[in-house]
Amino acid sequence: MPKRRDIVAFVLIVLPWTLLITVWHQNNVTPLLATRKDDRRLGRSNSRNTFALKESCSHQNHDIVEVERTEYVYSRPPPWSDILPTIHVITPTYSRSVQKAELTRLANTLLHVPNLHWILVEDSQRRTTLVSNLLQETGLNYTHLNVETPRNYKVRGDTKDPRIPRGTIQRNLAVRWLRETFSENSSQTGVVYFADDDNTYSLELFEEMRSTKKVSVWPVAFVGGLRYESPKVNTLGKVYGWKTVFDPHRPFAIDMAGFAVNLRLILSKPQAFFKLRGVKGGYQESSLLKELVTLSDLEPKAANCTKVLVWHTRTEKPVLVNEGKKGFTDSNVEI
Amino acid sequence: MATRMKLKLKTVFVLYFMVSLLGLVYALMQLGQRCDCSEHDLPKDRTISRLRGELHRLQEQMRNSEATKKPQKPITNPTIFVITPTYARLVQKAELTRLSQTFLHVPQLHWIVVEDSPHKTPLVSDLLVKSGLTYTHLHMPTAKDRKLQENDPSWLKPRGVEQRNEGLRWLREDRRAHPGGDNQQGVVYFADDDNTYSLQIFEEMRSTERVSVWPVGLVGGMKYERPVVEGGKVVRFHTGWRPSRPFPMDMAGFAVSLKLVLANPESCFDGEAPMGFLESSFLQGLVTMDELEPKADNCSKVLVWHTRTEKPKMKREEALQAQGLGSDRAVEV
Repeated sequence: MPKRRDIVAFVLIVLPWTLLITVWHQNNVTPLLATRKDDRRLGRSNSRNTFALKESCSHQNHDIVEVERTEYVYSRPPPWSDILPTIHVITPTYSRSVQKAELTRLANTLLHVPNLHWILVEDSQRRTTLVSNLLQETGLNYTHLNVETPRNYKVRGDTKDPRIPRGTIQRNLAVRWLRETFSENSSQTGVVYFADDDNTYSLELFEEMRSTKKVSVWPVAFVGGLRYESPKVNTLGKVYGWKTVFDPHRPFAIDMAGFAVNLRLILSKPQAFFKLRGVKGGYQESSLLKELVTLSDLEPKAANCTKVLVWHTRTEKPVLVNEGKKGFTDSNVEI
Repeated sequence: MATRMKLKLKTVFVLYFMVSLLGLVYALMQLGQRCDCSEHDLPKDRTISRLRGELHRLQEQMRNSEATKKPQKPITNPTIFVITPTYARLVQKAELTRLSQTFLHVPQLHWIVVEDSPHKTPLVSDLLVKSGLTYTHLHMPTAKDRKLQENDPSWLKPRGVEQRNEGLRWLREDRRAHPGGDNQQGVVYFADDDNTYSLQIFEEMRSTERVSVWPVGLVGGMKYERPVVEGGKVVRFHTGWRPSRPFPMDMAGFAVSLKLVLANPESCFDGEAPMGFLESSFLQGLVTMDELEPKADNCSKVLVWHTRTEKPKMKREEALQAQGLGSDRAVEV
């Protein structure tokens, strides 16, 4: 008899505590669970990985993968958010036969990125109608600038003057525009990225760079004669070197497409520009970055610089042999 | 002595039990109440809740903007079936990435990707899954003697023939297996993975009844090639190279209605056709020149460009690989 009573007593004591512990534990966990369900239902928007993959029921073979996109909105560009930092994409461009094609597909990419501001700088005497019309039709948030590179500075054809890398004057103009437009004290958060018009950018890249506090870096494919060049990142998550073959001892051995700068940092250092003259090949990026940041300040992105999210593609120059001297095709048709 | 101890123990137990019960009741009461978050409020939680609020607001905004937009296109909007042959090379992932970014803007698009490979590669499989598009992933290897070798010029042998035919075969089989009015509606377009497509071209081709045509930029050694339209009909073709071909057009310059493809189950691309006659080999059996439907403002606008991507220089990579120091293969490029 006493034994049973002891047991009963023991159970009566332990039971409430176990209940208490389970209830306490659940209390902390349920709010998180609720949000996860919410994310699932929203489909696209910011996190692209939360698609509900659904095998199309009517098709027995699993050849067709129909991704449930009931929430997908074909609004281009995505609506502006008040809290996402703006990405200012600076693209220098110049007139050539593939220009419209390049800008078209770059625009198609940028139209997916929320809070994006495209600063397109033409290397021309005045803004061309081709680019103006293209920009208007895309519906993107843009700024259209232009500045002509003086003839003796142009890359090709002049061996007397030291070359300056193409796009320098245009990029500097865009940086100056940013400094004139945004004051250092404003609460506007932003990130500045130099995107050439012939590269290929994944959408993930823009989300990686959005959180840049000073200067963030990541690998770039097809530069320096390698599959990809990348910063060297140690176990503490700090950049300590550069994994390149071409002059890895440059202060910043990185391609233009491999870094992004926080807007405030650019505004706070008004003397920082890309150097025009006397810059060795491959040192362009260093000429700007060394004014802004030191190696230890760099923030590695793309999973500690182990994923390739941008490709330095180059488009072949089209062979226009059949145009002949006078031009076979109607020059009024814009290409 | 024993009873006294027992009694004391009993009191302890009872006390203990009462405390536990009170504690449980207290916790259960707290469950429904709003938490006084001031002590536990970490800045992270604050940002999360703020972002969540922003997210819901944006969702609402999107939903509202969609509602006020022009009414939803009817479900019988013809689907555009885009057949893209692709093959493994350094720039493949980049090309497919930017192509998918363009397609993602086009509603009712079904991407049929056919790899020139004996089996599906993980690179393409993963890319397709992440793309968010409706897709079908196929593969069909090109026979060795028909395949371009490393240093062959690109025009030496026709490319993508087996893959495009495989795409057609799958499409025909799939539609035959699932008959039904809506399923037979659609447009078939052959899109190579290195060209550039504007978004307007897809809306132009959606209304194809038989075969529609339009200009293509940067092809045939010219700024653009195009059909010449008079009185709303195609009378000849403006091209600088072999204009006597039955259909002197590029693959990117025409689209075929699904009905026509299904009604002619034998028509496909002929790999044996002489250079430049690939498109003609397919279209000859389907349509005559005066049946062609001109799009893009009577073929006066260029909405698609035959761009080609340079092969990246890998001299340093090759040198490193010879030393056994090549870049990490695990990193996908």
